[in-house]
Amino acid sequence: MHVELNQIQKRYGDKIALNVPAWSLEPGEVLGLVGSNGAGKTTFLRILLDLLKPDEGHVRMDGRELSKDASWRTRTGSFLDRSFLIEYLTIPEYLEFVGTTFGLSKREIKANLQPFEPFLPVSRVDRSRLIRDLSTGNAKKVGILAALFVRPEFVVLDEPFANLDPPSQIQLKNLLVSMAEKDNTTMIISSHDLGHVTDVCKRITLLDRGSVQRDVETSEKTLADLNAYFSGEAVSSAT
Amino acid sequence: MRSLPTWRTYPLLAKNQYRIAFRQMQSQQGWFMRIVLAFMMAYSAFILLTLGFFFDRFSIELWPDATAVDVVNRSLLAGFVSLFFIRFLFQKTPRMKVVPYLHLPIKKNALVSFFQSASLLSIHNFYPLLFFVPFWMRYVVAEGSLVGNSMWIISIFLLLIASHFANLLLRSILKRRATLFYLWMTLFIATAFVDETAGIGLQKRASEYLFSNILSGEFSGLFLLVAFTLFMLASSTVSLHRAIGNSHDDSHAEPAKTRSFEVPSDWGLFGQLLRIELLLMWRNRRPRHYLFVSLLFSTMYLVFMLASGTAFDGIAFSALLGLFASGGFALNYGQLMFGWDSSYYPALVSRNVSYSELIRAKITVLQISCGVLFVGSLPLFIWLRPDLVPLHFSFMFYNAGVTTMLIMELASRNRQFIDIGKSGGFFNYEGFSAKHWLWFIPTALPPLLFLQVMNDSPRLGLVVLASIGFLSLLLTGGWTRYFARGLASRKHSMLEGYRTSAR
Repeated sequence: MHVELNQIQKRYGDKIALNVPAWSLEPGEVLGLVGSNGAGKTTFLRILLDLLKPDEGHVRMDGRELSKDASWRTRTGSFLDRSFLIEYLTIPEYLEFVGTTFGLSKREIKANLQPFEPFLPVSRVDRSRLIRDLSTGNAKKVGILAALFVRPEFVVLDEPFANLDPPSQIQLKNLLVSMAEKDNTTMIISSHDLGHVTDVCKRITLLDRGSVQRDVETSEKTLADLNAYFSGEAVSSAT
Repeated sequence: MRSLPTWRTYPLLAKNQYRIAFRQMQSQQGWFMRIVLAFMMAYSAFILLTLGFFFDRFSIELWPDATAVDVVNRSLLAGFVSLFFIRFLFQKTPRMKVVPYLHLPIKKNALVSFFQSASLLSIHNFYPLLFFVPFWMRYVVAEGSLVGNSMWIISIFLLLIASHFANLLLRSILKRRATLFYLWMTLFIATAFVDETAGIGLQKRASEYLFSNILSGEFSGLFLLVAFTLFMLASSTVSLHRAIGNSHDDSHAEPAKTRSFEVPSDWGLFGQLLRIELLLMWRNRRPRHYLFVSLLFSTMYLVFMLASGTAFDGIAFSALLGLFASGGFALNYGQLMFGWDSSYYPALVSRNVSYSELIRAKITVLQISCGVLFVGSLPLFIWLRPDLVPLHFSFMFYNAGVTTMLIMELASRNRQFIDIGKSGGFFNYEGFSAKHWLWFIPTALPPLLFLQVMNDSPRLGLVVLASIGFLSLLLTGGWTRYFARGLASRKHSMLEGYRTSAR
């Protein structure tokens, strides 16, 4: 899916939360969105999912304006935070709901979940346990799984590695890489974990104070560059 | 490290509780809601004070052969049981307030004793006194000896304290042994019902015997009440100790098991949304509270109003009765729809959930509720006021066709976040705004005025009302598309409203 942001601006009072004159993502591209707290990452993702209306500019998906054509929703899987979960449902109930929104039958839902068994063994979960009774990490896994198992063309994830145990982080990385390679899935992954994000993503967009500061292809140097950038910022914010 | 001494713990906790209460008052409601709440509180206080000071004027009408004190004495036990049910529905327990302090070096005993004592500062304990104290001053003091009437007012305080701690205890039992609790409550209500309807009057006689004895200066009754109060205090204190002991380990506690149900696959997204709506009601505290209150309202209130005879002879009051008898749930629960979904609204609107299907599922729930309440309350109408059955029938159609749509128009503009896990107690008006109060005008006034105009030919009026409802029911598809368009255009403002009011 081709994603394009044009002249996007979002203000909260006098403060400019996001100002992106031009930015685009090619089909099959896997992009990491990094930045300090308050840099505008979540605002960026919310605008991208039409959960927040920009004051100016527009977002296009495959050439169609996001706010005027909702067809992108049938091709997008996303998980930003717990508000994407219906917490009084059980895991199977929630996944059935999400699958139905993508037009999947019960059999297709079951089949689609199969490859994700190592990440979250849905076939073995307690079917009477509500999502709100899960630990933060397990609830997050449910949200990520709901975004991925429907085989979307476009995936948007906010901080997917946070709160996951190390084995789950590794499994998730493998899943994302495999989806990108096999299915040519377009992805945006926002993360504070620079190691994971540079492992998975082919391109990094660095946001600071609502603006794109860097937009680079990932290379062997990227992690060191990002570490140096944020170390400098930590020094400047401390002083 | 040594724990904080008790003498320093209490002022610290009191200061925190004061801050919390003050900030909650400041943050929760807008000016309109504050004015409405202040008015409601002042109005109910006025009613209670008036009843307390002038009780004989009311009692002489209903029970001409008994003195005011006799009437109150024989109704006290039943009165306190009724108050207990209100407490049970609305009063909060101190358990959750204790939890944030458990990791601090504060003695657990000090925490428990502070929050048990502080919980007594409740409107449920204060408001009954607005009746009992003036009643005591005006009527009881004049009847008994100094010792007797002092003991009488002390026994009232003891009953309030006992029912306060009994509520805390029962809530804790409900948490641990729900089935046993419901069995016990059913048995209790059935016994009370048989006692009253079979003319045994055991409760009345016991109440009169106990409080007349206390008033005459007999200490045995008072001792009984003291013992009962101490037992409730001790039991609820032990229960709170146990509860907070377990809350250390909540992360490993076995969560409550829940039952699910399937919807036919060919219902597709509509079926899923219908299931979500029904599970929302069943699995979350505040929506469930609205469900129960609607059912309670549509049965107990209806029995009371229908049995009161002359109160509903006027067509206007009958219209209100018709509106609530089958539309009680739609009016009560429906007005906060979408607000109920506020904590997961992004889960709906970021996915391929069509607004039409979302609206259709919600309207279906409300329309079915009108039918269910109609059928459920029909025997009461047939039994107590068969002449009002046509009105009940007519309003079933009106509510399903018109009231439901008016409520949906209101609900699709909700922008206030609602914590569905919170209790739906008194003065929890989260999710409400001025428009919810004002909306009663377009909802209730038109049928009321119409029936007033048709006073000379009420049957024709009811036929017209039912026809309007039926016609609107046939237009449900059109209504759905209209609401869906509105919902789509207000999507961002609703999301923004939920996000900002949740902070």
